[in-house]
Amino acid sequence: MSHFLIVGAALFSIGLYTVFSRKNAILVLIGIEFMLNAAILNLVAFGRYDRIDNEGQVFAIFAIVLAAATVAVALAIIINVYKQYKTIDPDKIKDMKY
Amino acid sequence: MTSLIIVSVLAVAVLYLGLFKYKTALLPVSVTGLLAAAAMAAMDWDLEKMYFSEMMLFDNYAVAFSILLILTTLLIFGLSRNYFEKISNNVAEYYALMLFALAGGVVMVSFHNLAMLFIGIEILSISLYVLAGIRRKDPASNEASLKYFLMGAFATGFLLFGTALIYGATGSFNLAAIASSGAFESALFRAGVLLMMVGLSFKVSVAPFHTWTPDVYEGSPGLIAMFMATVVKTAGFAAFLRLFLMAFAEASAFWAITVAILCILTLFAGNITAVFQDRFKRLLAWSSVSHAGYLLLAILAVGFSASSAVLVYTIAYSLASVAAFGIMILVSRARGNDHLDSFNGLARTNPFLAFTLTLAVCSLAGIPLTAGFFGKFYVFKVALAQGYTWLVVLAVINAMIGIYYYFKVIIAMYMKENANAVAIQLNPGFRLVLSIVVFLIFLFGIFPGLIANIL
Amino acid sequence: MLTQSLFYFLSFLAIFSALAVIIAKNPVHSVLYLILTFFAITGHYILLNAQFLAIVNMIVYAGAIMVLFLFVLMLLNLNAETEPQKPAYIKIAGVVSGGLLLLVLVGALKTVDVSGAGGTTATDMGLVENLGMVLFNEFLLPFELASVLLLTAMVGAVLIGRREA
Repeated sequence: MSHFLIVGAALFSIGLYTVFSRKNAILVLIGIEFMLNAAILNLVAFGRYDRIDNEGQVFAIFAIVLAAATVAVALAIIINVYKQYKTIDPDKIKDMKY
Repeated sequence: MTSLIIVSVLAVAVLYLGLFKYKTALLPVSVTGLLAAAAMAAMDWDLEKMYFSEMMLFDNYAVAFSILLILTTLLIFGLSRNYFEKISNNVAEYYALMLFALAGGVVMVSFHNLAMLFIGIEILSISLYVLAGIRRKDPASNEASLKYFLMGAFATGFLLFGTALIYGATGSFNLAAIASSGAFESALFRAGVLLMMVGLSFKVSVAPFHTWTPDVYEGSPGLIAMFMATVVKTAGFAAFLRLFLMAFAEASAFWAITVAILCILTLFAGNITAVFQDRFKRLLAWSSVSHAGYLLLAILAVGFSASSAVLVYTIAYSLASVAAFGIMILVSRARGNDHLDSFNGLARTNPFLAFTLTLAVCSLAGIPLTAGFFGKFYVFKVALAQGYTWLVVLAVINAMIGIYYYFKVIIAMYMKENANAVAIQLNPGFRLVLSIVVFLIFLFGIFPGLIANIL
Repeated sequence: MLTQSLFYFLSFLAIFSALAVIIAKNPVHSVLYLILTFFAITGHYILLNAQFLAIVNMIVYAGAIMVLFLFVLMLLNLNAETEPQKPAYIKIAGVVSGGLLLLVLVGALKTVDVSGAGGTTATDMGLVENLGMVLFNEFLLPFELASVLLLTAMVGAVLIGRREA
């Protein structure tokens, strides 16, 4: 079963790379979705070895609920930002300086 | 538990008030509800009750931090009269979202299961992504919302993956079961602890995961930035400490060095950058980063003295931040911006505001006779008791840097003149809240025993 | 063995399409590859005896979330091939950090003691009935709070997304 975990780890790393390397807020969001999915896959895989009961899968359901909720809010925010700036490149959206 | 129910139901009730256009009733209803919630939380004192198959544990730690969160929200609501009305006509939704965020915060300080921690953090975060962006016509507010969202969701990924690994290593989400699992040596557990630490560090803006903080604080409306700096930071640290105290304490030898490094990075990043800020809101944002560093010191010293120190520190920090952000809102509203020059001559036009702000920044800097002094004192004390002398020395150096930039605003108010400054009008809500804050900062600064021995 | 070869096929599909997501220049293609990844993950769930979760994943991710993504991409008209690219050094930094993390995680996961844990062989544990028992007994409180979470998200999305009156 550790094979499943390695698939999860690979997806997580791909997600991390996507977050770092893309300029498009939606693709950054996709990277984050990868990371969440990797975590959910791990939860389910570990859940198979849960000694008491099936907590892993139940937690996975909560994580999916959460992912759906955040995506809805995120896309609302992104549309709003696009209306203001006509771009969704997080680096260009910068009125302020450090 | 009852307080959590009251806060959640109150949020829904506020939504209904908005639906039926009882706008004047919003504030009284929210305030009454919060007072009831605080009272119900106080009733749970010393009961140590577990709820719903060990999902939540209302021990004294949870009760104390819940009351702190609820009362801080109450102070912020006291300043909010006529504030949201200027931003938009959906006032009820903003109150409701802040109450939802508060409910998330209460969950975060009372969880006894990683599922609750996860859901609490997410309720808090999602409300704040929206609240940061409520000035929909203002590009800066949109930017804040987007940045906060991207960083927050990224952190959630780490948190969830860390949770999964810890579940894999210990076979449970229950804090007590994790603590007694004895899996501390496994690489899986260690990777999980580190990933959760990264996730939580993002949420409480610990360096090097703090880069979103200044932009988000600056872009958000002042009152929301105040909420982030007080309620969110308190809830985040209370959750951080609770997790490491109740679940990972036995493995402290392994994660302590990482926390120590994060602590140093945060202190220096926050304080040194704050020196170069010339706008008060950004200065406060960077100083809030540095305060996260001081709070990390307490997490190093796991044990019940640590929770007491964190409680004193967060009380002092929340009070001072409410005053500082509140006056920042007033000044930037009256003079157009929050540049430090805008504070010139405030002592002449508004002696009360100048005095309150002086007290607040003294408390943030940790000057004796203010609550902030004892906050720092207890945090340093627990860190010294654990043998982190070198770390405390570095922290004291940072506290001195802190005094330098905090005093810049005092100098602006008292030493510099502004010929065409006019007195700022205060509404009764501001007057009341600021007076309470001044009183409490003095009270806890002179009698720290009132709050130091609660836990 | 059938399950084993199925697993390798699905893993290959998942990782291949995940890589395709990040290599594709056109955001719409990325999202389409993402759907493929989610299908592969759904297959993994079935292999792991998580039948209900597989269905939920299919409906929520592949159905709802991806449609939402595609809608927004098309609404903003971002299907232009002229996707801006980040400078190479950031990409290299991304590869390095992603690769290091992968290394650490694989190292940690390698040590998982599979035999000692004694995995369940019950094939019905992922069915609605068994999940529901756990969900409405131990996880009743998080379940209720998830409703607060959804309400928050709903209020927030409507508040931000709707046209200002």
